[in-house]
Amino acid sequence: MRTHFDVFGLPRAYDVDVPALEKQYRELSLQLHPDRVAQADARERLKALEGTTALNEAFKTLKDPVRRAFYLLKLHGIDLDREDAGAQKDMPMEFLEEVMDLREALDTAMEKKDLARARAMATDVEARKKAALDEAAGALRALEAGGPGADGQVLVKKASHALGRVRYFTRFLEQVDAFEEESLS
Amino acid sequence: MSKNGYLQIHDPLKPKGQAVGIDLGTTNSLVAAVVQGKPRCVPVDEGDSLLLPSVVHYAKDGGVVVGARARRLAPEHPTDTISSVKRFMGRSPDDAETRKLGHYRFVPGSKVVRFDVAGGTPVNPIEVSGEILRSLKRRAEAHFSTKVEQAVITVPAYFDDAQRQATKDAGRLAGLEVLRLLNEPTAAALAYGLDKGSQGTFAVYDLGGGTFDVSILKLVDGVFEVKSTGGDSALGGDDFDRAIAQQVLQAMGEKEPSPALIAEVLAASRKAKEALTDVPEVELTVGGHKQVVKRADFDTWIQPFVQKTGVVCRRALKDAGVAAGELDGVILVGGATRVPAVRRYVAELFGREPLGDIDPDQVVALGAAVQADLLTNEDRQDEVLLLDVIPLSLGLETMGGIVEKLIQRNSTIPTAAAQVFTTFKDGQTGLDVHVVQGERELVEDNRSLARFTLSGIPPLAAGMARVEVRFQVDADGILSVSAKEQSTGATQSITVKPSHGLTDEEIEQMLLDSIDHAEEDIQARQVREQRVDAERVLAEAERQLREHGSLLQDGERAAIDAAMARVRELATGNDHLKLKEAVHALDETSRPFIERVMNQAITQVVGGHSVEEF
Repeated sequence: MRTHFDVFGLPRAYDVDVPALEKQYRELSLQLHPDRVAQADARERLKALEGTTALNEAFKTLKDPVRRAFYLLKLHGIDLDREDAGAQKDMPMEFLEEVMDLREALDTAMEKKDLARARAMATDVEARKKAALDEAAGALRALEAGGPGADGQVLVKKASHALGRVRYFTRFLEQVDAFEEESLS
Repeated sequence: MSKNGYLQIHDPLKPKGQAVGIDLGTTNSLVAAVVQGKPRCVPVDEGDSLLLPSVVHYAKDGGVVVGARARRLAPEHPTDTISSVKRFMGRSPDDAETRKLGHYRFVPGSKVVRFDVAGGTPVNPIEVSGEILRSLKRRAEAHFSTKVEQAVITVPAYFDDAQRQATKDAGRLAGLEVLRLLNEPTAAALAYGLDKGSQGTFAVYDLGGGTFDVSILKLVDGVFEVKSTGGDSALGGDDFDRAIAQQVLQAMGEKEPSPALIAEVLAASRKAKEALTDVPEVELTVGGHKQVVKRADFDTWIQPFVQKTGVVCRRALKDAGVAAGELDGVILVGGATRVPAVRRYVAELFGREPLGDIDPDQVVALGAAVQADLLTNEDRQDEVLLLDVIPLSLGLETMGGIVEKLIQRNSTIPTAAAQVFTTFKDGQTGLDVHVVQGERELVEDNRSLARFTLSGIPPLAAGMARVEVRFQVDADGILSVSAKEQSTGATQSITVKPSHGLTDEEIEQMLLDSIDHAEEDIQARQVREQRVDAERVLAEAERQLREHGSLLQDGERAAIDAAMARVRELATGNDHLKLKEAVHALDETSRPFIERVMNQAITQVVGGHSVEEF
């Protein structure tokens, strides 16, 4: 299977040089884009459409550290984007408690229309999200390095738990955003 | 060699004549092309105007008039004259936008918008837009003395799939190969970017007649990358006109104004709005009603609309991950950005004075011409590339009427996404798919694009059959959906047609009709246009004779009658030049009489005072 890393000719790794990736994306777009073959036959144009679609998907995934982490985990067989994924039921108990506490506090702030409180929570959750992503990144780096002694199953589980939290925090922050937009308009 | 006209005509790079860029606007439309390396707008209307008013008049004899002439016919034929048709593109008859204050007569009970106009057959928005495009195409062909068959047509960035599809269909109807649907703010940036050869991050604030768009773009190494876009496809300068009109109708005590009065008040309101750009107050006259409109009041009336644009801009900046202070420039597009209150608001919002050195009316067409040239001229292919985004998320209805988003808004196009569905009943052989576009969580709050049933799934136990539904969005931002049953590999593919749009058969029929139409020569069309003019002049003369016959002097009546008879006679023939002369002669003959009528009217209005007192 052709991975997003293959599209850019990059080795599979958690760390990506994003400015270099952006430059390469522009160069590849200039070569592949349907605009380059607007006057060509249908086959050429379809090829350009498919090539650029794959390029755009790869770029979107690799330039963003969160998407990149989810993608690497998916390459290891765990797809957290799927609602029915077994991995989601597998989250540890303390995470569920954390979720319930945050949920309750945000609901209270929203009921009271307390925007300042919601913003303060967002700052705190932002920090938690960053920490969780760092934890996932550590596990994914170790997993990709795959040196002797690396226990694949343990690392995958570690990355999966950390990214499960990242995913929850992202949704939480989106809710605060929506609340903020609603309060301001 | 390049100066040799003969060689240029046979240039192998341009086998299809001149490729053009078209700004199909709510209020005005323009066509531009790159000639000798520079984009230029083409004269398209009376007096070599570069702006063709987007107004289409349907006459009793089946004739169609487009542009300034059509606009002049609006007060007298409000329901047969369609203006701002762009507002109706891809919209259903019960859409809030369709029901705003206007002077149209809709065919009741139709599932698509149909205007009931003179000439027998009702017309839909795609056909009306097709007339505008056909007019632009014809006038560009006359200007360049060559065929025009390929065009880049601009659309508001915030147009959804149905509105894009409708625009593309209108292009086909007009006999154009639509090279690309280009987002208007992107087109504007392209016009600026090439002029200045600049690098950096720009915001384009585009407030047109009926639509508002904002885009945040980054230009690096010749690649224009749209980072985010936002907008409101039902907000524009027309709303400013309506805001004035509503105040005027209220002041007149009109609760249920006639279409004719609405058309007249809207026209007067538009003029007042334009005048207020340069003066602090203006007197507006409708029939016998006079009213002073102050800029300060106008600013207050439009404030809700202006503030709505601010909310959209802040979201676009956030989506792009860019702070207002990081921008290298703000570009203004659209006639409504001439309103001083709008300029002030934009300057404050982005914390800098916006750029306006390219005429905001022309900038979109110029950018479209550049893109048309980039797409058709191989010599220029390495210079610039546009990477645009899809403005609204695409998703599918899932259990409980919840939307599952498959493609997020602001994804770079072309893009694709796939989702696997399973059956939920034993032996189930069909699966209903409902495609929606929008940002809201519930299906009912979003735009419904298409519903279809995947059939032919092998009857298996519940959950065993797996169907992959794939969305592909092309570089025009138009969606196609295909589905594949994974156990048998059976594939179904459809191009999404809006649920309340036109069927393929209807488009087909319209195309056939339009081919007949296109074959009529220009002569016939000029005759029709001239006939419409003649009818208007005759009706006006008859009315004045009927109402003010007492003001006629000796021999005048006979001369006017003779001139009218001559116009009537020629109106049945096919010589438009002779008809034009006769209309002119009638004008001349009746002028002394008409002047007396006007003088009397003025005297009555001033109520016994001499004109000098005023």
